[in-house]
Amino acid sequence: MFKQLATRASTRGALSSGFQSAQALRSTAPSTTLLQQRIWQRRGYATPSEEKDLVIIGGGVAGYVAAIKAGQEGLKVACIEKRGSLGGTCLNVGCIPSKSLLNNSHLYHQIMHDTKNRGIEVNDVKLNLAQMMKAKETSVGGLTKGIEFLFKKNNVEYIKGTGAFADEHTINVNLTEGGETSVRGKNILIATGSEATPFPGLTIDEKKVITSTGAIALTEVPKKMVVIGGGIIGLEMASVWSRLGSEVTVVEFLGQIGGPGMDTDISKNIQKTLGKQGLKFKLNTKVVKGDDSGEGVKLDVEAAKGGKAETLEADVCLVAIGRRPYTAGLGFEKIGLETDNRGRLVIDQEYRTKIPHIRVIGDCTFGPMLAHKAEEEAVAAVEYITKNYGHVNYGAIPSVMYTHPEVAWVGQNEAELKEAGVNYKVGSFPFSANSRAKTNLDSEGLVKFLADAETDRILGVHIVGPNAGEMIAEGTLALEYGASTEDIGRTSHAHPTLAEAFKEAAMATYGKAIHY
Amino acid sequence: MRATRVLFKHTPMIKFLGRRSVPKQIDHTPQVHPASPAESLPESFAQYRQKASQHGPMMRGGSSGGAASSGSSQSYGAVGGSSGRQLGSVQPKEGEVWDRNQLPKRFRRTLYSEAEMEAIESGGASLF
Repeated sequence: MFKQLATRASTRGALSSGFQSAQALRSTAPSTTLLQQRIWQRRGYATPSEEKDLVIIGGGVAGYVAAIKAGQEGLKVACIEKRGSLGGTCLNVGCIPSKSLLNNSHLYHQIMHDTKNRGIEVNDVKLNLAQMMKAKETSVGGLTKGIEFLFKKNNVEYIKGTGAFADEHTINVNLTEGGETSVRGKNILIATGSEATPFPGLTIDEKKVITSTGAIALTEVPKKMVVIGGGIIGLEMASVWSRLGSEVTVVEFLGQIGGPGMDTDISKNIQKTLGKQGLKFKLNTKVVKGDDSGEGVKLDVEAAKGGKAETLEADVCLVAIGRRPYTAGLGFEKIGLETDNRGRLVIDQEYRTKIPHIRVIGDCTFGPMLAHKAEEEAVAAVEYITKNYGHVNYGAIPSVMYTHPEVAWVGQNEAELKEAGVNYKVGSFPFSANSRAKTNLDSEGLVKFLADAETDRILGVHIVGPNAGEMIAEGTLALEYGASTEDIGRTSHAHPTLAEAFKEAAMATYGKAIHY
Repeated sequence: MRATRVLFKHTPMIKFLGRRSVPKQIDHTPQVHPASPAESLPESFAQYRQKASQHGPMMRGGSSGGAASSGSSQSYGAVGGSSGRQLGSVQPKEGEVWDRNQLPKRFRRTLYSEAEMEAIESGGASLF
């Protein structure tokens, strides 16, 4: 009974200004302090902390951006992260490390295969995979430490541990370094991200059967690799290991690579180019059975609509069939939060769950699972708390695939416009007619505009080609501001640049391109 | 020449929006998230707002004080219309207490004596 009283007193003290009175009490009553300390030490009860304006569960891109923004807005904010380093999937095992490997493997591949005709003779080129991985880790380490610095700069309390709801305002945290604590917030933001969806029948060990996490950490180049899923993650990783010497086959259920968002013309174009680079594709194909009991992995595949069956064998199988929200262990049942049939937390237009002070952003709720979408939501969610108003335009979020050449798009694709019954016009321009791409000897791909037939307003921009990921920023800005293709076409673009292809594609939409 | 210039004068569709400001009229009524595939919010959103309380009963006060009785859509606005920050601290107001430690001293628990603590620590009343 006494134990109960003492614990309640300490916890309740943490919830209000009673914390201060409890501290005052301690200073005048050493015996009580001694007792409380003893109990905390022995039983590992939560240590009290002040109430926060905002408590964020998850220190990934959504969570850390929200934390920094909230700190800048003057809120008292705490961010709970269990990984041990900030940045979440994107910085630790996603976008950033994969870009390091994509960049360096491209350099290696170019030195191996594309130097002689440029007048550079290179001999005795060797791959040092361990060093390539080290370079990746150096990049990741520098960036994650950078976020910790930004936390300190913006007065964000960083709690390393696993958080779970105790009640609607309180999060219990199992600290990474041992012990427990609890933190109470007026507002709570859930930003727990996503995880790779496993494939039924295959056990993920991140060595032989891998997800994107294992694909950025292989210790040797597999002789044969099968990638299940021809979406962005699958194709990026397929590119990396293909460039480093692996024989890669991509199995895709749909009739095109790049996922359903990629425009069909663009998808066909990049498939052709990647095919030239050595990747093999099996489209309209489903994996019916996987066997990872032997030394390698065997996959039984057949045509998606029924038909010819075959068995694929590989040293390593990458499962890249998508990602699913990660919300396990958060104790939602205690507060009754709801998810939809795909595990996404249900929210309204201001990111509120049914409990208005609990909001959700990023991969664990609606919308595309993209880091930059999560960042936008983070800023908007904090602005809803502090200013009552936030802004995210879900119609103007770009997508980029960092293969070589890159693929990037924003807005709607042709299939979507047809389905919506929109009267549209198309204009395109190939990089083979662009002077800079020609001088770079890197001229695969094209820029394609889709615009309203009547108003000329841009509805979608689709690019496959060198630097597409950077170039799409101009398209996104144009879409955000409601620009017409003529607005782009009448804007001066420096010569000689790849961006001129962008301008000329716009010109081809409302009139005619000059150089094609 | 001038006619030609006028004929071909291009009026950009891009409009300079000027400095951004928060709209004065914002409808905070919960609506479906723009990226949600669902056409409506679950019924639980309305139910929670009708029953729950945050910083005091959610139905309380405001010019639309009769919101509770005049339909759930009005009570939505009253509830979601203020941010957590505007609602202020969750600490009790003057005259309200949530914890015994916030009461005047005479109402608080008496301090443990050393003997009492020793009794608890040793696990029994044998000392007495």
